[in-house]
Amino acid sequence: MKRLIDLAISFYSENRRLVAPLLGFPGIKLAGSSIKLAQQNHKEHFKVIGSLVDKFKPDIQFVLMDLSVEANALGLNTIFPPNESATVLKKDKEFNMDSLDSFRKISFDGDSRLLGYVKTVELMKLKFSSSVKVGAYVTGPYTLAGLIIGAEEAGLMAAREPDRLEQICIFTTRCITEYTRLLLSAGADAVCLLEPSGVMLGPSHFEKFSSANVKKIVEICHQADSDCIYHVCGNSMHLIEKMAESGVDGLSLDSKDTGVDLPAIAKKIPKNIVMIGNMNPTKTIVYGSPEEVKEEVKTLLASMDDFPNFILSTGCDLPLETPLDNISAFMETGRNYTISI
Amino acid sequence: MSVLEQIKENVIAGNESNVVELTQKALDEDIGPEEILNDGFIPGMEIVGSKFQANEIYVPEMLISAKAMKAGVKLLEPFLTEAGIEPIGKVVIGTVKGDLHDIGKNLVAMMLEGGGFEVIDVGVDVSPEKFMDLVKEKNPDILGLSALLTTTMGEIKNVIDAFKENSLRNDIKIMVGGAPLTEDYAKEIGADGYSPDAASAVDLAKKLLGE
Repeated sequence: MKRLIDLAISFYSENRRLVAPLLGFPGIKLAGSSIKLAQQNHKEHFKVIGSLVDKFKPDIQFVLMDLSVEANALGLNTIFPPNESATVLKKDKEFNMDSLDSFRKISFDGDSRLLGYVKTVELMKLKFSSSVKVGAYVTGPYTLAGLIIGAEEAGLMAAREPDRLEQICIFTTRCITEYTRLLLSAGADAVCLLEPSGVMLGPSHFEKFSSANVKKIVEICHQADSDCIYHVCGNSMHLIEKMAESGVDGLSLDSKDTGVDLPAIAKKIPKNIVMIGNMNPTKTIVYGSPEEVKEEVKTLLASMDDFPNFILSTGCDLPLETPLDNISAFMETGRNYTISI
Repeated sequence: MSVLEQIKENVIAGNESNVVELTQKALDEDIGPEEILNDGFIPGMEIVGSKFQANEIYVPEMLISAKAMKAGVKLLEPFLTEAGIEPIGKVVIGTVKGDLHDIGKNLVAMMLEGGGFEVIDVGVDVSPEKFMDLVKEKNPDILGLSALLTTTMGEIKNVIDAFKENSLRNDIKIMVGGAPLTEDYAKEIGADGYSPDAASAVDLAKKLLGE
């Protein structure tokens, strides 16, 4: 299967775009399921994802976004509300570096919930048409460190004890590497690193705790001939160079409303990196009409006409309550759009 | 360099132990608590806020400054009370129901405290009913609502709607913030103000009190 950049360029040469919203939770309604069930039962998970592919036929389909998978596999306290994504609870005691030693003894390939995601990817690869790229998510090194020691503690440690935090991020990278290998073996065409907490860091801290480590994940993705995508929520403009230097194949970026300027980014990153974005996932597509969605998508597409390395998507994951008609409007507008150069 | 100048510099550097030590030194030198707050902490945090807005520093650096200031303010509190110095306003702040994230909310709370506000931090995963009960009980000037997730930002609207439905909306100013929120969204749901970051939150709160 072609890599993302080749596909994007091939579509661009035909004056069209790949269309791949970050789409997961709206499938819960479509399949009549619940988030809790789908995040704990791989067959239910596949049913949810399959319903989205049947209805919307995106070019890339990811599993459900879930930032708790790796932390949960490490034994951290995680809650499973019926219709909210699983969440890791804040630690009630101070983190101790000795905890890392006990975490190191845990094998991810023995964790039932994590393997549920791997099996979902397997089913997606097996059942979907070859034209749909199968995407999986892993948690970024700094964000996972924040889940282990607490987000505020990670921020404080970045400023006060950067070397100690670096050790924790090296450990989390090892965890992510193990999970990534499992996802790639299951057939993932693309692995997207979710680094939402990274947006709080300055460029040098981001490099030290995230992007330097991400290079290792990129390597193993490339060994499997798969793509590696970097996703940071919010205004990541100050981090773009560091994200690009990590060697990833794609940057999944948040909406213009957060301050992300895709055309400006296109001019400063290498042309072999695909930009994936960036319709606001919490505004028109959730609260507007299909007509309003169409207008916004057209404006976004037109702003990227000059750049071959672009995939139409949303700036982040679409929420559960996104009207299905609005997703159809997004897909339809993306499919029917003709690039004018 | 005067002790107040040293406090300011150590707040900017985020050196908590130095800030505590210098605050005690200033008190020992009979410098009034209000003067320490107004000429040491507040100008220090104003510089931190400006640097943050100019992308010269980021959340970790702001966190250590806010923590240093909080430790110093804690030492000052009994002296401020004893001197009969009232806070410039009272704020109840919390993260909405279903959302367990608190780093942004905590930063805003610390910045407001440093800016001379009394802050009642009610934590995370707070229901509209609990916010209403707290406002009735504590009688704050401002309610601060935070959400980090796209899946929970709708809860901010639910809180504002609950205040309207229970005829409490006119009694309080509501300011909102959090990664997925925008100024437009805040206006749309009927908030009185939106702050894109913790540094701007203090100015916004002062502005809301002045209106």
